Amino acid sequence: MAGQFHLEIITPTKVYDEGEVDYVRAPGADGAFGILAGHTESIMALAIGEIKVVKGSVEKTYASAKGFAEITKNGVQLLVESAEPKGGIDLNRAQKAYDRAKEHLNRKKDEMEDELRALRALERSMNRLKVAEKK
Amino acid sequence: MANLKVIRKRIGTIESIKQVTRAMKLVAAAKLRRAQINMEQARPYAGRIHGVLNHLLPDIDRTTHDLLTMRPARQKAFIIITSDRGLCGSFNTNILRQAESIIMAAGKENSKLICIGRKGYEYFGKRGYDVVDHYADFWNELNFSHATQMARAVTSRYLSGEFDDVRVIFNEFKNVAQQKIAEYHYLPLVLEDDAEVVDTDYLFEPSKDEVVKSLVPRHLNIQMWRFLLESNAAEQAARMTSMEAATNNAGDLIDRLRLEYNKARQAAITTEILEVVSGAEALVE
Repeated sequence: MAGQFHLEIITPTKVYDEGEVDYVRAPGADGAFGILAGHTESIMALAIGEIKVVKGSVEKTYASAKGFAEITKNGVQLLVESAEPKGGIDLNRAQKAYDRAKEHLNRKKDEMEDELRALRALERSMNRLKVAEKK
Repeated sequence: MANLKVIRKRIGTIESIKQVTRAMKLVAAAKLRRAQINMEQARPYAGRIHGVLNHLLPDIDRTTHDLLTMRPARQKAFIIITSDRGLCGSFNTNILRQAESIIMAAGKENSKLICIGRKGYEYFGKRGYDVVDHYADFWNELNFSHATQMARAVTSRYLSGEFDDVRVIFNEFKNVAQQKIAEYHYLPLVLEDDAEVVDTDYLFEPSKDEVVKSLVPRHLNIQMWRFLLESNAAEQAARMTSMEAATNNAGDLIDRLRLEYNKARQAAITTEILEVVSGAEALVE
């Protein structure tokens, strides 16, 4: 086995310290990528998506927003604007945000900025729902 | 005696004021604790983003990013962070006075204001300043999405050319007894040198430019969040100290009135005895 590395998921409101893990899959801006121990030191932009953490036989999933990954010799830090563990996603809230964004998009087509915002909100809420419902 | 009654009533009034100020102090202390926890939790994220940006910026051509390019500052914008409510000592007065002199120095006509917190909006709105945006009534349920919303609004105004330079004026939380008014250059993005130094040779994915492009808005969001948290903590600390002082003052006042009350009571009794005695003596003669 390639060994383990230290993983932290850092958001503006909370730090999830995962300890030593075997594998992480993160949603890169150009598609998902996996990280194993001994990865080249790098900084990668992250898109809205799903973070998967494998520690031994335990698997954990997070719904995450935009951010970036910093990979150093000492470990991996995922800096994202929000991250929610799969069990901790507020489905009700995500569904409401989804409906609101949808409605907004149907109604307003004139204002660019508003549309972009609604699109982004839609993306975030869809991601939460997707991660939460996945087995 | 009328005087005794008046004093008794005043003691009662001050007693109830003291109860209110003490309750406000306790509430502010609880809120301050929460605000400090929030600040503590935001620190690792803010520190890392700052560090990485600092590492990247020297290698980046500033002119290729709109948020990094310096433009001649014809129109300036000031974001002024105050509280929604008063009873927090000189918290708002100080910052409003200082903000006003900064704006005067920059030229009132060339300045646009964004007021966060009702007190600032009321103050500048009344005095004929160009307030282009304001936010209020969110301090109680303050969360990160407020910060992103404000940061996004300011950034899009900046990108549309509405102003060329954005400063934030806010109360920085030094410690419970002290707030310091700070001015921060928000846009275009300039970094101070106090960030952690990163000297690792990183690989960038998808590319250095792309990473910077995605990092800058993240940085602006977290900075805005930091300003809100600092100001919130400073506000609660200011309220706590001023309510503590008010409670102590009320206590002193009560002590003084009580002394006065006792003296008046004693005087009344003495007069009464004197009347009785002199009445009795008059009968003897």
